[in-house]
Amino acid sequence: MKLLKYNKIAVLALVSITLISCGSDDLPGESQLDFTQPTKTSLDNWIDATYLSPYNINVQYKWNQNTVDNSRFLFPPEVDKVKPALEIVQTIWLKSYAAIGGPDFVKKIAPREIVLIGGVNLNSVGTRTLGLAEGGQRVTLFETDYIDKTDRANVSEFIHTIQHEYIHILNQNKPFDEKTWKTLTPGGYTADWYNYEIPESNELGFITSYARSNINEDFAETASMILIYSKAEYADFLAGIQSPFALQALKAKEAIVVKYFKEAFNMDFYALRDEAEKNTTSVLN
Amino acid sequence: MKMKQLYKYLFAAILILQLVACNNNTDAEQLFNETPTTRLNQQKTELNDALLSSQYGWKAVYFTDNTVLGGYTHLFRFAQDGTVQMASDFDADTATYKSEYAIQVGSTVSLTFTTKNRIHLLSDSNSYPIPALEAEGYLGDFQFLYYGQENDEIIFRTNRNNRELRFVKATAEDWADLPKNLVMEQNVIGGQERPLFRLLETNDGTAVHKFDFSFTPATRFANSNSIESGYSVSYDMGIGYTPTGIVVSPAVEVGGQQLTDFTYNDADGSFTATGTNGVSAVIKYTDKPLVLTDDYKFLLPAQPASWFGFFVDDYTIDSPANSPLFYAELEKVNAALPAGQRIATIEIYGNQGIGTLIYYSFIGRGPIQHRVTVEEDAVGKKIILKHKSWGTSTTAATPAFLASIDKYFMDPEGIYVKAESFRLFYSDPVYTFTSASSPFRMTTWKLQ
Repeated sequence: MKLLKYNKIAVLALVSITLISCGSDDLPGESQLDFTQPTKTSLDNWIDATYLSPYNINVQYKWNQNTVDNSRFLFPPEVDKVKPALEIVQTIWLKSYAAIGGPDFVKKIAPREIVLIGGVNLNSVGTRTLGLAEGGQRVTLFETDYIDKTDRANVSEFIHTIQHEYIHILNQNKPFDEKTWKTLTPGGYTADWYNYEIPESNELGFITSYARSNINEDFAETASMILIYSKAEYADFLAGIQSPFALQALKAKEAIVVKYFKEAFNMDFYALRDEAEKNTTSVLN
Repeated sequence: MKMKQLYKYLFAAILILQLVACNNNTDAEQLFNETPTTRLNQQKTELNDALLSSQYGWKAVYFTDNTVLGGYTHLFRFAQDGTVQMASDFDADTATYKSEYAIQVGSTVSLTFTTKNRIHLLSDSNSYPIPALEAEGYLGDFQFLYYGQENDEIIFRTNRNNRELRFVKATAEDWADLPKNLVMEQNVIGGQERPLFRLLETNDGTAVHKFDFSFTPATRFANSNSIESGYSVSYDMGIGYTPTGIVVSPAVEVGGQQLTDFTYNDADGSFTATGTNGVSAVIKYTDKPLVLTDDYKFLLPAQPASWFGFFVDDYTIDSPANSPLFYAELEKVNAALPAGQRIATIEIYGNQGIGTLIYYSFIGRGPIQHRVTVEEDAVGKKIILKHKSWGTSTTAATPAFLASIDKYFMDPEGIYVKAESFRLFYSDPVYTFTSASSPFRMTTWKLQ
């Protein structure tokens, strides 16, 4: 018993020696990593004030291979084009959602990073990828160098991209009614959507040809196209549809979009469209 | 007792642990004295110091892929504040522009041009020189992995396709002379007044070999194949322009020597690379086709009737084989004709009932026949056309508006006739007629 007692003490002593014996090794010194902040240009400061501070969105316009598909031949945008592009995004997208969804809406559900690319992302089949949304976190916008604020069609296409990608981000946060959507135009989806003219796809109940690639793209295209149309333009578009089946399908899809915005985010989709139209006009002027 | 034993073992175990714990002797060989982080940081500093060290910056002739494309010369001048001044001979705009660069750490230390400048023109999916490169631009990269330095050169490998790219120290002349690269481009393409045939001739000190040579300006790439039967060597090479000549990649290997730098000679339009021990390679012009064919024999007397036609309003006008001089001569005819009249066809009828003739037809006026006799140059493998009469009249003078173009067909040196391997839309065989002493070539269909 006594021996056992000593043993205990001896073991304790040895354990503590083991634990502290190497304590004289070199202590870690200063970090080897370079934490110096790059010098900020006035553009960087403007981005911080407009995107980073209010929305916690990082904007990346300088090249970083980790955020871009390395197999594509892309390049960073012209620095002069960055601010105009971001102003369009801010006015038409951020402000419209803030006005209708409440000032905190985009702060809660937003891509955490916007990546701007200068050139066209051309696919081998001849189509252009205008934007990408990844994991609900990052939106990549292509063709920034081509932005022309005086041209409504040009601004519309650019804003169509961000609206489209943001719908994906919303869907990645809260799913839409995929079950019902699937039943509306099940036969029209095709991998070679780019071989069809838009009016042809319209007559099958799709708002664009790209909408035919799958139901997720269909939803994003339907919502984003209605958002970039004015009320009158969209009414004209529907009036031009010949096929009663297509007209009904388009209206049913519109209804699902409206319901999704109401139920998932308590937003009036039509009010959002009107706000976006108003802001688009203000960008152009 | 059991407990006691357990303690004994524990005691022994801890004792052993103590005895070996602080043993510094690892048998593994120490490859580096520094930690990876330290070494990466050292490399970053080393690269940045090197980039900043050259007074006039750096020059790189960037061959993005020397199996399809040529070289694009870029000049860089790096500054401490993270900016870089850059100029390139990608197109006529050789001015200097400023953008940003960064030394980034990925798989290794790399130099990245982070904001847009001239080098990004090589990486635009929407701007490609040939359909085969659709969506791939000029296969360019603008992130270069650092692989050290050698002989005052910085060695990089491109990030995307792992090709070596060397930065050499630039000089003040490099910056001043960059526009001259584009003047040289015109010499590589070749002027209107140069002969139509070009060859690459190699000399390994003992034997001379000849190769045809064709250059594609859009890709800055040349194909060169042996014209000797039983000697199937090809030199395909990307071409970069310099103020004094061209630099090629891959190198032309002659007699075990790698020839890359060719010097231009304006007197004859040739480019010469010289090695040692009599080794050389020359790209030069020649007046006569590299391979002579017997295709001219169709037009010799006593052959069956034949008919070759060039048509202004049909695919023959777009033939790549027509020479600039031929187009210029067509324009001359039209300019000399009265308003409302223009040339429509040039046809060669061989061995018809009335003999052999060149038949000029027009819009707005009647056709004109130039009847000729045909002689053979059996050694030179060509035909020589000789004037017989304009129409039926042996005394009629040459119509003034045809005098200039017609003299090429009447070339006393003769005309080469060649069956081409390509077709112009229709299945009819394509034949070209080339003046032996001037860069005049017309494309026809053989219609009979």
